[in-house]
Amino acid sequence: MEEDVQAVTVGTSRFFDADGFDPSAVSAERFPRTRLIQYSLALFTLFLVAAPLVPVLYQSLLSVPIYESGGTLNFDAYWRFLASPDFQTAMVNSLVLAFGSTIVGTVIGLFIAIAVARTNMPARQLVSGTMLLPLYVSQLVLSVGWFIMYGPAGYISLEMRDLFGTVPWNLYTLAGMSVVAGILAAPLTFILCIGSLRLIDASMEDAARSLGAKPPRIIWSVIIPIIRPALVYSAMLNFISGLELLSIPLIFGRPARMIFFTTYLYNSRGGSVPDYGLLGAAAAFFLLLITGLVLIQGRLLRNASRFTAIRGKASRPKTFDLGKWRYVAAGLVVAYLVFGLGLPLLGLVLRAFVEFLTPLMAPWKLLTWANFNIIFSNPIYIRSITNSILIAGLGGALATLLIALVTVVIHRSDFRWRKPLEFIALYPRAVPGMIAGLGVLWAVLWIPLLSPLHGTIWILIIAFTMRNIPTGYGAMSPVLLQIDNDLDRSARSVGADWWTTVRRVVLPIAKTGLFSTYVLMFLSFFKEYAAATFLYTRGSEVIGISMLEFWGIGEVGPAAALGVLQFVATCIFIFAARKILGVKLHA
Amino acid sequence: MPKLSVSGLTKQFGDVRAVDGISFEAKDGEFITLLGPSGCGKSTTLFAIAGLDRPTGGRIQLDGRVFFDGSAGLFVPPEARNCGLVFQSYALWPHMTVADNVAFPLRVRGVKKKQIAAEVEKSLALVEMESYAQRYPHELSGGQQQRVALARTLVFRPSLLLLDEPLSNLDAKLRLRARGWLKQLQSQLNITTIFVTHDQTEALSLSDRIVVMDGGRIMQVGTPQEIYQDPATPFIADFIGGSNFLSGTVATVTGNVALVSLPDGQTLSVSASPELTPGRQVTVSVRPEEVHLVHESDPRPNLLHGRIVQREYLGPRYQYSVSIGDRLVRFETVENLGSVDATLAVSPESCTVFAFNGKH
Ligand SMILES: Nc1ncnc2c1ncn2[C@@H]1O[C@H](COP(=O)(O)OP(=O)(O)O)[C@@H](O)[C@H]1O
Ligand SMILES: [Mg+2]
Repeated sequence: MEEDVQAVTVGTSRFFDADGFDPSAVSAERFPRTRLIQYSLALFTLFLVAAPLVPVLYQSLLSVPIYESGGTLNFDAYWRFLASPDFQTAMVNSLVLAFGSTIVGTVIGLFIAIAVARTNMPARQLVSGTMLLPLYVSQLVLSVGWFIMYGPAGYISLEMRDLFGTVPWNLYTLAGMSVVAGILAAPLTFILCIGSLRLIDASMEDAARSLGAKPPRIIWSVIIPIIRPALVYSAMLNFISGLELLSIPLIFGRPARMIFFTTYLYNSRGGSVPDYGLLGAAAAFFLLLITGLVLIQGRLLRNASRFTAIRGKASRPKTFDLGKWRYVAAGLVVAYLVFGLGLPLLGLVLRAFVEFLTPLMAPWKLLTWANFNIIFSNPIYIRSITNSILIAGLGGALATLLIALVTVVIHRSDFRWRKPLEFIALYPRAVPGMIAGLGVLWAVLWIPLLSPLHGTIWILIIAFTMRNIPTGYGAMSPVLLQIDNDLDRSARSVGADWWTTVRRVVLPIAKTGLFSTYVLMFLSFFKEYAAATFLYTRGSEVIGISMLEFWGIGEVGPAAALGVLQFVATCIFIFAARKILGVKLHA
Repeated sequence: MPKLSVSGLTKQFGDVRAVDGISFEAKDGEFITLLGPSGCGKSTTLFAIAGLDRPTGGRIQLDGRVFFDGSAGLFVPPEARNCGLVFQSYALWPHMTVADNVAFPLRVRGVKKKQIAAEVEKSLALVEMESYAQRYPHELSGGQQQRVALARTLVFRPSLLLLDEPLSNLDAKLRLRARGWLKQLQSQLNITTIFVTHDQTEALSLSDRIVVMDGGRIMQVGTPQEIYQDPATPFIADFIGGSNFLSGTVATVTGNVALVSLPDGQTLSVSASPELTPGRQVTVSVRPEEVHLVHESDPRPNLLHGRIVQREYLGPRYQYSVSIGDRLVRFETVENLGSVDATLAVSPESCTVFAFNGKH
């Protein structure tokens, strides 16, 4: 139907004197690349997103391993899996952990967000800056820190026993793990809620106040309903992350012999010949569960605009005067930051530099470089660090490029399939990291054309990219939507085709947004480990994998040392991004 | 054969029919204005000609080449149409200097570097912006940005110049000057131009022919004097009549002042221009807000005497109609006056003079 006629010269006009210059004659006949590029991008994205999913679903129905021929399709594996007691325990444990961590994380995160955005609590700037950091640090690193400080033999736990004769907490329980997970999840709630809290039109509060409502009542009956969409969104996200959580179940659940969904998958990775059918069914079940939750999330938020009290620009930042209570609020927030995040990080650093950490001996008497020596004397561990940097640096850049182009196609083109493309780009939210890794592995085993990727870092880059398309799309979209449409239309009207317009006008104007997206991609790739658990082989480890290896053989010191290295590298990168690229991470 | 022909053009946005079966033609070198109130589909029509919006139906043809044909499913993308469009927002690319902005159309056409430099300079000279080549758009005033936008459009020598309310973002004084400048440039280049505006004074002073639009349809097509003298519908009469119009004859021209004598013997001095020769029939237009009530012995030039014949209460102000010669001149003031003799001051700069060709 649509017949795009490409650049053909138009008869010269007799204007601009008779100097003979006719640029329309210069214009070379161009190859119809617009559609080609758009279709390639769309198909590549489809491939990236579908590649891990199709093998998982296929394997879950297949009676033999995916790389073998023959076999029949049936639901046997599902029945075996659903009937296994391990599955049932894992399911219950995972749901409880997800639920518990959501409640803890939401309460803490929302409390801090309200305190920062709507009250006169002291040190608000500092708090909102500090709350960002945990988002960019691997949960694995923070969980190890928690173990070192608050675990059964942790530094603070032992100190407590010395002082009071008993330790009032036990992290080897579902409740304990939920609290840890919740504390580590709170920054996400904070970030997701603070934006809409800051934008609430102050006049709504004024109205409530003029009717005689007291501040706590205003929070409950005015603010909470207004930020409900953000709250629902963050709670659902916390719940999903709770189900997908691998670090805490591994670190605290394993020793307590508690099995979770993720550790169930993680364990079946070992063994000489894994039960492919069972693994496939488990993975497919997990995938469908999370997809269901993401769909519910979408439904809950569909009418979200009804609740918006948000004007285009922030109105007067109006704050509640808490009186003396402002110091109490500040005390609570500082306690959270110190005990929840600061001390675990301190513990991690201490542990990395000592032979062992105990309240019985001053740490400086036990100082040692041994933990770092173990890492730096073994090429495998060095390689895991260089791999992480390479994957984040190079892979992050490639992912940013891909995502930027896909976002451009979605928002700045007349591509016929741009709505479905947006759906595809957002779908990986429903794919847990481990499943993405497993699926990509199976895709590579299944499709002979892809087998050269096996055992290289490229397979990790592919899985990480797939996982992070929605994050990047979320960062890139608003940037593109802010660019005036006339800027690309004017480029088209003066003779640039779509692709030239994208390269020379749209992306250069979106440069700052591209840098921010790159920083986000770098940090996400750098901390990712769950998606690597199935994918790595000797030669393609990443930092998180090496940490888990040390952890698996009880070597806490080197694991802590790796955690410190990762943390320091993250901080350096954030600092450099700010100095060199001018990218400021902010809430 | 017409240069541009648009026939049966329609554009539907969901339920809204923004353009509803529009047909018109432009001759080579003609200056055509699409005039109509905001939202009547002018921009949509212009963008359809440029190829930036795909119309729902109809046909567009330039220089004998079909750009769009709804029934044949034919659509030429904008980059292949060689139409130059100046946007209402100017749409200069913020990350490029003025020179790079102007060079861009030639770069995408693969013109040689040396020639690009020469052509960019020529184009900037045409709009008197040579000395700003290395500036960035945000370092320019609105009027300068407008000139750069025009240079960027002219540099690739489009077959057709499309202007979307290019003067609307300028302040009143600058708008007046830019208007004269634009008209001069257009006749110098003799480029076929489609100009979009909602301002009847702009339309009357610039166009060879005006296409009056409302609600996505064409109401009337004609020369400025046809449209003004003989409006086809009450809507057009009302729309075009927003200004006060006085007709007269050029009496004398001294330096840059031309004296227009009105039928009742009063005179009005206006800015001189080449077409204002003694004996020439002209129509002077002045907006109600530029007519001021003054004391009889006011020292200002251009005083007009008449009698208030009509009063309308506009809330904060009154609008009065004063009979001068055979015309009514409207003005607004907060003062509450009766049916008295009034003296009005009209500054020469606020007068727009239409020198109609031939009779009248
Ligand atoms: N992208 C669009 N989507 C929906 N409606 C549109 C769009 N662009 C224009 N319209 C509608 O089409 C009509 C004509 O618009 P436009 O051509 O911009 O008017 P004008 O330039 O005469 O002010 C208006 O009613 C406008 O609301
Ligand atoms: Mg318009």
